[in-house]
Amino acid sequence: MGMPVKPALTLAIIAAVLTALVVLVASFTRDRIASNEQAWIRQRLDALVPPATHDNDLLADSIAVTAPDLLGSSQPTKIYRARRAGAPVAAVLRPIAPDGYRGPIELLVAIGQDGRLIGVQVIRHQETPGLGDAFESRDVHWLDRFRGRSLTDPPTQRWTVRRDGGDFDAFTGATITPRAIVKAVRNSLEYYQRNSQRIFEQPTQ
Amino acid sequence: MSAGSSSRFGSTARLIAVCPLLAMSDTVADALGIGVVVLIVLPLATAVLALLRSRLTSETALPASMLTIAALVACVELLLSAWFSELRTALTLFVPLIVSNLIAVQHLQARHESLGKALAGSLQIAAGIAVTLLPLGIARELVGRGSLLHDAGNLLGAHWAELSVFRVDMGFLLAMLPPGAFISFGLLLAARNWIIQRRS
Repeated sequence: MGMPVKPALTLAIIAAVLTALVVLVASFTRDRIASNEQAWIRQRLDALVPPATHDNDLLADSIAVTAPDLLGSSQPTKIYRARRAGAPVAAVLRPIAPDGYRGPIELLVAIGQDGRLIGVQVIRHQETPGLGDAFESRDVHWLDRFRGRSLTDPPTQRWTVRRDGGDFDAFTGATITPRAIVKAVRNSLEYYQRNSQRIFEQPTQ
Repeated sequence: MSAGSSSRFGSTARLIAVCPLLAMSDTVADALGIGVVVLIVLPLATAVLALLRSRLTSETALPASMLTIAALVACVELLLSAWFSELRTALTLFVPLIVSNLIAVQHLQARHESLGKALAGSLQIAAGIAVTLLPLGIARELVGRGSLLHDAGNLLGAHWAELSVFRVDMGFLLAMLPPGAFISFGLLLAARNWIIQRRS
């Protein structure tokens, strides 16, 4: 048998043609996928901060910050800013709870100008179906309990699940998931408290 | 190759292909989604490879089929994100995962068949996979969540198809978790064998 040049060449050609196909499909779908992503996040932002309460476009008025300790990611995470007639109304942080049961849990945490929580949403997670995902099926109002809370309500040492001596009920069948979410929400509040001025002053990126 | 051995071959291939796919049968909508993806990718890959056959040697056949299937699955994934983004989110990990199953099936298929025969064979296997996943999805969603197509509105844009059969708090959890897929699959196989035995 000689040098296997021909089979290698055949494979290289096949690979090149297929790569071209994938690139073609990717460029053809890029805009649509990007607008899907935008619509997806906009829908969740609108559910958290009602459009009537602000007059700017949250998606356009956003910044990216990096705070591994409080926002759970070494990568930049987004902060969307809601304003009315230029004055700050609310900030929506997009932290990651890194210690979910089966991986990171991506959240949206909306905090009002007064430092109180407007709402919390889980936007991406890999928690066990039927157990750790209770907040989206069995116990859909679980996330509502954060509304109106602030860094001092409950006091810091009780900002955790009941099992750890805190004020927040876990849902049946899961402790790790609620614990991770409560911690991430608390950390978001802390981040907001430390940076609230800077959050609204930083120019849009 | 005799008819007997090729049909045995077919059922082995089908079994291997179905196993890793089982995890995706936790709801009817997911099962439908993955069934459709398999129905698109497998015949397409078979057709492409059948056309390339004369240029492939026994050494290059496997890498060529890996490349083809991976590329087609990547394309389907992009198209899903563009037009069925909610379904794509629900199936996240699993769409890229079917690459390995389909390569196994593709590799087990007889390599000397004509284009038409190969295409018919792959359609049959893909349909077999889809038809196996669907009753599993129905059984698992019904037992585990007490609903049928509960997320069809989000995933397939068909809110009218959602059907809540009974209200459960925890549901029968085992049915929803991956082991539930294997247990349901075992029951399904047992039922099939029982029917075949009764007939003969």
